[in-house]
Amino acid sequence: MILMQTKAIFIDAYRELNAKKLFWLTLGLNVIAVALFASIGINERGFTILFWTFDGLFNTSIMSRETFYKFEFVTWGVPIWLSWGTVILALVSTSGIIPDLVSGGTIEPILSKPIGRIRLFLTKYLTGLLFVAAQILVFSTGCFLVLGIRAGAWEFGLFLAIPIIIAYFSYLFSFCVLIGIVTRSTITALLLTIVFWLFVFVVHIADVSMVAERERTAIALENAPAMVESQERFAQKRIEQLIEQGKPIPGQNGEPLPSGKVDSLEAINPTLKTARQKMIDAQRSFDSRNTWASRVYTLKLILPKTQETIGLLERNLIASDELDGFINMLNGLEDGDDNPDNELGERIDAVYSARTTIWILGTSFIFEIILLGLSTIIFVRRDF
Amino acid sequence: MEAVIDVKGVEKMYRRKVHALRGVDLQVGAGEIFGLLGPNGAGKSTLVKVLLTVISPTKCTGTMLGSKIGTKSALAQVGYLPEHHNFPQYLTSRQVLRHFGAMAGVERKARNKRADELLEIVNMSEWATHKLGSYSKGMRQRVGIAQALMNDPKLVILDEPTDGVDPIGRRDIREILLRLRDEGRTVFLNSHLLSELEMVCDRVAIMVHGLMRQQGTIDELTADRSGFVITAATQMKSESLDAAKNAVRGSSARSKTHARS
Repeated sequence: MILMQTKAIFIDAYRELNAKKLFWLTLGLNVIAVALFASIGINERGFTILFWTFDGLFNTSIMSRETFYKFEFVTWGVPIWLSWGTVILALVSTSGIIPDLVSGGTIEPILSKPIGRIRLFLTKYLTGLLFVAAQILVFSTGCFLVLGIRAGAWEFGLFLAIPIIIAYFSYLFSFCVLIGIVTRSTITALLLTIVFWLFVFVVHIADVSMVAERERTAIALENAPAMVESQERFAQKRIEQLIEQGKPIPGQNGEPLPSGKVDSLEAINPTLKTARQKMIDAQRSFDSRNTWASRVYTLKLILPKTQETIGLLERNLIASDELDGFINMLNGLEDGDDNPDNELGERIDAVYSARTTIWILGTSFIFEIILLGLSTIIFVRRDF
Repeated sequence: MEAVIDVKGVEKMYRRKVHALRGVDLQVGAGEIFGLLGPNGAGKSTLVKVLLTVISPTKCTGTMLGSKIGTKSALAQVGYLPEHHNFPQYLTSRQVLRHFGAMAGVERKARNKRADELLEIVNMSEWATHKLGSYSKGMRQRVGIAQALMNDPKLVILDEPTDGVDPIGRRDIREILLRLRDEGRTVFLNSHLLSELEMVCDRVAIMVHGLMRQQGTIDELTADRSGFVITAATQMKSESLDAAKNAVRGSSARSKTHARS
């Protein structure tokens, strides 16, 4: 009976979406996105669109066809189309699932059937996720075929987009469902979910900025003592020269210190004072950035990690060295040159690499489970 | 008589303020058409929803079809038509019946066959492939009744089934109810119209303000003729007052008028 009821709920959800035309509209848009994906390419001479080639530096000497399509998939296919376009359409399509379920006259005959409320609610939740799964399956399969036919690479890793985007959507959908069950309003659920989504995105941007700032000030702080030591050594050498010459040294043997100087070294070498001040400033600056980065991190910790979840696809699909040629081209560097921003970049990368897949998905799923649990409790306890 | 519904002391209080049900005792026998009568807001629908787990009671003991109230085994044998139902407009009547048949656990072959049979019974076969969005209120009500019968229930609970239905539709619904009783099913009918219940019901209970006031057959309830005492204060002239008194005395109800002029 459980399978029969579950199947009936899924079929009903499909019919509902079908009636709204949104299922087929979204599917059609996915097919168009795949067609766009297929129409763009790369060859020995340059960049191609359909049958036209645009000669230029961006050619297969910089990036293989396979890497190009994977790069295309992870730079716009997933972050732009799947994680924004498809998710917005999916939210519009599915935000009414729970408000419609609990609307007067609809819920009573369903609850009078021999089906548990928890199962009914969670099955309805799953119908929303299934909608997204179907859409991503179409897009991923299309891109898989394009990559195979046009680049000769049959990259099954593209299908990782399905669980990753479902996870991504499920964080937002759990919020949408909670608002839907509390307010019973589709439009409120949709609007507040979009606001929440933007909030999560802003927190992510704040986190990225704060981490970058903290690491930048950390580098400055780490370099400051060496600068001070260098200036101190220079001052010490100068003092030794003055002693040899028998000249008076400020601050020693009863000689007065010039105002604003704390010792003989500063009196001899005015740059030392600036270096010492820079070190103090760097410490203050680092403390301030570190405090703010920690606050944003704490906030981020409890929120779902939408952007990092999307980033998992890139981590798993493209090896870091595959894009070296392209990145160097963007930076105007020859192969083998050192990028001056490497230290900061590497430190930021290290911070984000420390945020493991388990941390990203684990904390996000905890958020989702809490919201879904709350929604389920409300649904189970509510009188209709 | 075997009791299909046997509940005692059913109470429902909303937010510790509104006492919708105040200790309702109810027994419905097998194979009868039982009517629950009462004004709007009396608690009739709340009582039905408590029996069907749509509303959780504050207090309730008893059984339905031999099982504890709210168990799946009991619900599997019940058909229900809510008062203000809103079946999906994007489905055809055949799809509605099949969907709710599946939700009630009816096997595929059986539910396909039964859906067509029931559409025939409620005179909706010609509309089987039309979407509910194009139906009149009466047609939706017929589909609703058919939906309540999809699982071949032993107990059918219909909440205001004739609400918004034209006289011919009402007659058809009454015929369906009598047919259900003849098939051995128990029918529980909720209505605020005595005229609807007295034509088909074997027994009727009257509910007011969340309390069961009286239960019995129509004859039993009407045999104990009760009346009202009307107290009026008026500034009417004596001749007008006499005319009014005569009008009241002429009615079938016993009345006593105290007039103060």
